[in-house]
Amino acid sequence: MQAWLTRRGQGFADWLNAWARVFSFTGVALIGALSPSTYNKATRQVVQKQIYFTAWQILPGFALFSALFSVLIIEIVGRNANAYGLYAYALELIVRVLVLEILPLMTALFVALRTGAAINTEVALMQIQNELGALERIGIDPFRLELLPRVVGGTISVLALTAVNIVIALVLARIMIIDLNPWSLPPGEFARVIGKVLDLPAIGVLWVKTFAFGLAVTVIPISEGLNTPKKLFYAPIAVLRGMVRLFFALMVIEFAALTALYV
Amino acid sequence: MADSTETAASTKRVVMLVGNAERLALIEQHPRAAMVSEDLPLRANLSVLENITVVLQFRTNTYIGEANDIAWNLLTLVDSTDCAQRRDPELSTEERFIAKLLRAVVLTPPVILIDRPALLLPDTNYPFFLNRTLLALAGKFEQCLILDYTWNAPLYNSRA
Repeated sequence: MQAWLTRRGQGFADWLNAWARVFSFTGVALIGALSPSTYNKATRQVVQKQIYFTAWQILPGFALFSALFSVLIIEIVGRNANAYGLYAYALELIVRVLVLEILPLMTALFVALRTGAAINTEVALMQIQNELGALERIGIDPFRLELLPRVVGGTISVLALTAVNIVIALVLARIMIIDLNPWSLPPGEFARVIGKVLDLPAIGVLWVKTFAFGLAVTVIPISEGLNTPKKLFYAPIAVLRGMVRLFFALMVIEFAALTALYV
Repeated sequence: MADSTETAASTKRVVMLVGNAERLALIEQHPRAAMVSEDLPLRANLSVLENITVVLQFRTNTYIGEANDIAWNLLTLVDSTDCAQRRDPELSTEERFIAKLLRAVVLTPPVILIDRPALLLPDTNYPFFLNRTLLALAGKFEQCLILDYTWNAPLYNSRA
């Protein structure tokens, strides 16, 4: 029993330590990102590359997927609202569910699966193979060259992809709910609903949440990768732990945002 | 010390060591030396050219075009432009050594430490290879210390 408790206690302490490392790295990364001295030609190039690989490279495909997904949700909500005689509320429901909740979370999950996993693996391998130590020895700060630009580029990418998806969803909602169904809603209804749902607190929560998503999908994989022991067989374990921790963090952020907005 | 050569602006010295403790102590004595070592790998997802240019870009804020020109000139000096666009896993041991050496040399450091060349160049007549490569880079560094073990001393005296 004592051994079991000791093991559980050790496990809990490790879990707490891992989260402490994540928060500590987040703090350092935020300060570093805001410091102009962080940036030089090398770091800016890594930021550009990160944005290219995380956002620009996938933009057409992901925008198309997001548009199709939005069309599906808008159609389902529109039809059902019509069937129950609640068509006047369809647009508001779409904006609240699709624009404020589903699209930011979907974007964050996609970037987490694609870029977060890649960053976690790369940092773990860099740590295992002593590439970070090698950079340090030749006078290059690995935090400034390899880690921080990934946080900055990844966060900007999540914000940009979310913004693009939201614009696409709003345009599609306008076309499908109002333009394709004239006389169903009074003129100016689109602007009125958008103004009502996307008020200052909602927009504030939306972008704080998206910013937190962006930080999480880069900071957690990096923090977990950096903590990998220098043995190759630990690489998959580091990625597994990073991805589970990231999923948990994204759910907590979403839950906190919902609570802030509706409770 | 088994071998020492001197060119116009660069000197090469082979330091023969009796064991690892002596090697570590010598490395510790030169904390600012640019090192070429098996323990200091290249960045695996960067090409040879990028591994060299990133040092210039980060340390001296050089423009990418200018940094590329400098790195390319160094690769030309050692006749290794073929591997410029390849990454670490695609390199032969000699090409990997050249990439590490040029990464160390690119900022014209006063001292370069080449740590255990037998480990870096296992399939090469490395005393001859080192001599030829360092001669090609004469003037790009002040002093090069080659750290090797005493049991490899006969290799430096061979005429092969």
